[in-house]
Amino acid sequence: MRIRITVFAVAFFCQISVSQEVKKDSVKTNELSEVKVTTATRTERVLSSLPLPMTIITSEAIIKSGVTRLNEILSEQTGIILIPDESGFEGIQMQGLDAAYTMILIDGVPLVGRSSGVLDLSRVSVGNIERIEIVKGASSALYGSEAMGGVINVITKRPKKDMFSGSLSYRYATFNTSDANTNLLWKKKKFAANLFANFYSTDGYDLDKSTPLKNVEPFYNFTIQPKIYYDFSENLKLIVNNRFYDMKMDNRAIIDAENYSGDAKEKEWNSQLKFEHKWNSKVYSEYEFYATNYKNDSFLKDENNVLFESAYYNQWLIRPEVRTTLSLKNDKLTGGVGVSYETLDRTYFEKQVNFNSQYVYLQYDYNPTEKWNILAGFRYDNHSEYASQFSPKLAVNYKVNENFSLKSSVGYGYKAPDFRQLYFDFTNPSVGYTVLGYNVAEDRLNQLDEQGQLLSRVSGVSFSDPLQPESSINVNLGTFYKKNKLRLDVNAFYNSIENLIDTRVVAQKTNGQNVFSYFNISKIFTYGLEFNSTYDFTKDLSVSFGYQFLTAKDKSVLDNFENYQYIRNSDLQTIQIKKSDYFGLYNRSKHTANVKFAYTIPKIKTDINLRVFYRSKYGMYDTNGNQILDKYDTFVDGYFLTNLSISKYIGDKFMLQAGANNLFDFTDPTQISNLAGRQLFARIQYNF
Amino acid sequence: MKTKIFTLSLLALFISTVSCSSDDDKNTVAPVVTTKVSNVYAPQTGGQGQPVGGEFTKFSFSENKIVTDDNWDIAFRGTSVIVNGGTKISATDAGEPERKGQGAVSIVSGIFANVTAFPASSTFAQDASGASAFPSSGDNVWYDYNGATHIISAKAGKVYVIKTHDGKYAKVEFLSYYKDAPATPDANSTARYYTFNFAYQANSTTTF
Repeated sequence: MRIRITVFAVAFFCQISVSQEVKKDSVKTNELSEVKVTTATRTERVLSSLPLPMTIITSEAIIKSGVTRLNEILSEQTGIILIPDESGFEGIQMQGLDAAYTMILIDGVPLVGRSSGVLDLSRVSVGNIERIEIVKGASSALYGSEAMGGVINVITKRPKKDMFSGSLSYRYATFNTSDANTNLLWKKKKFAANLFANFYSTDGYDLDKSTPLKNVEPFYNFTIQPKIYYDFSENLKLIVNNRFYDMKMDNRAIIDAENYSGDAKEKEWNSQLKFEHKWNSKVYSEYEFYATNYKNDSFLKDENNVLFESAYYNQWLIRPEVRTTLSLKNDKLTGGVGVSYETLDRTYFEKQVNFNSQYVYLQYDYNPTEKWNILAGFRYDNHSEYASQFSPKLAVNYKVNENFSLKSSVGYGYKAPDFRQLYFDFTNPSVGYTVLGYNVAEDRLNQLDEQGQLLSRVSGVSFSDPLQPESSINVNLGTFYKKNKLRLDVNAFYNSIENLIDTRVVAQKTNGQNVFSYFNISKIFTYGLEFNSTYDFTKDLSVSFGYQFLTAKDKSVLDNFENYQYIRNSDLQTIQIKKSDYFGLYNRSKHTANVKFAYTIPKIKTDINLRVFYRSKYGMYDTNGNQILDKYDTFVDGYFLTNLSISKYIGDKFMLQAGANNLFDFTDPTQISNLAGRQLFARIQYNF
Repeated sequence: MKTKIFTLSLLALFISTVSCSSDDDKNTVAPVVTTKVSNVYAPQTGGQGQPVGGEFTKFSFSENKIVTDDNWDIAFRGTSVIVNGGTKISATDAGEPERKGQGAVSIVSGIFANVTAFPASSTFAQDASGASAFPSSGDNVWYDYNGATHIISAKAGKVYVIKTHDGKYAKVEFLSYYKDAPATPDANSTARYYTFNFAYQANSTTTF
């Protein structure tokens, strides 16, 4: 109810302000909508006329917020919620879809290394980001698998004209956290280069001082990203983009009351070679070769320094792609073709596994009149391990007038069964249960049977048909409004997801534990509304408000509710509940909102940036015996978080910044492991 | 005078008839009583990657207590529950008792008090080699295991109708797997202590 009132109040207020005479032309909100974006269509498009729901984060917004890692800046956006998984990695939830369904790109090429479906986003530093483009909704028509919930593209800085400039910065924060950045940009005639280096270290944090384990153990990492550009001519340009990342973290565990300690290391490199070729005014091509390797090694030793456990993960992706855009009058036809070769070698896999796929995509950007823009496209993926996928998409933008446009899109998204779901072979050493990937399950079960380890096998289980990819249909309907000082963005979305892969018991072992494998089980749907507005009260004060309403439910629960209608009350007695008592999926809040104030005091060259975030209650597990989340379960209470940063510019070159993340020190140690408490920070930056 | 005697004899006849009726009423069957049993300790050895062993804890509904002879109806070891009918699930398991009775189990979804009719006899299953009559996985297993909190919670709305070793019927609902049945068990709760409700039908009717 409170959120509703706030929404109406803001909308009403905006109406009053807009109807007043505008004396000074405020350029800020207008500038943002005229930014050219590339992720949604793989071509340059103006944001305001894009028929897809898209959010941009500018480098200015990133600097003013004072954050240092990608997960931190993403969590501040409307409709993006950070969810920690069991290993502590934070994944992003978009439109109600889990972290495994969002593709993360750096300069247009994907990051790999999802050991349990989630990418560790804290491994991307924000020090050299030009812009972050977030496309929401199924984008498999351009990007293929994993782009089911959307795509996030981190675009790094690139020198555009002859220059030599750079910046050095150092930031120190609570928990002995240090972040040091260097960014150098140089261009002279045909050559250009960009060198970015970042070092980050922290002591981690501990919400529960009674255990020797911390929520996040101490770690340090460094990133080096050298990029070289060479312009053969105006029409042929070469980019060589490399990124190296190295992280080392203390690894600690307590198993059966024994203390174990060791290290965990992450090493990653991405290498992109790209030619930008302008054949003529009508034809433009890009030839790209991308290779990336992600490695993760960890070990644990006991108190006598004897090795207890070690794990490794080594993933390669090699992906050449060629894409061409034909400009025909007002329209653009884009096509691309590529090959993807992926290998993974890790503990709990019997041997290294390979994925081979080829893909082709086509997109038509059609502007029949000045008011209409139609985007139609599809992608076809041919894969060695699962059924080929055809992903179409259709989006329409109608410009009602100069200030207002309507947009709508329908698209198909999919996520292929990943390596783990197909090839895993893991037995938990302390509890004794076994998890088998779908493709290896049949053979391994027969092997376990011969060894006499199986008590019984669940009847009706068959591995003869290949595991299907998870697929979704996504519908968006939204508006885009900008006039003078106000910018408003509303998007209603619906996702219907089928063939979700989840674990099921396939056999019982003689040690009393179960054997699990992966199957296409569930059907879920999510729907909601995302609202974003920015208003420039004066040229010094700008306020933005964002809100998302989300419902995410399991369709099979609703269809078979008689299996879930009984719960245990606090006296442990069984009572019956109604279908309308079903709350939905775990870890999804119905309401999330944010308010951001950006205030400039030009006389003293100071910027004040205050952000307040709200997340409404959500459930983590079933707590009353019916295996689903209903309104009688125990919920994590909703909470507010406040981030403040104040930046002061001294002369042209220096910037001082101080602030606090989680200003009011909100924590919920038992239920929320990724909220660290208040972090104060101070930063100094030198620009030249 | 004649009317008076007539009325008195009529009254006497009426009273004796009514008296007879009261005696007939005393022959109807009393309703079954729900009994709550707490803290039936069901230890097991092994588990955690080792083969499971140890004696099953045997319980009799008619005697409403743990028994050590063959007159048991239901037995527990860790999360495993067995009936006194059919054959041993694992022939090499020394702690598993031989089945000496006609025991079987049928699963009904619903609220305990509302389960009054016996399920059809075709729905009853006995323990067999390699397969326990009490499902150990799937929709009808009696518990849920939460992989993140490691808590075992008794599923709501599952009523197990047990045919006892001697052919009588009882209905059982598991309430908790932890000592003293805490409403919200946590990592400090002591496991393998069963708390359950049961109602035993001692007569030969087909309802509870």
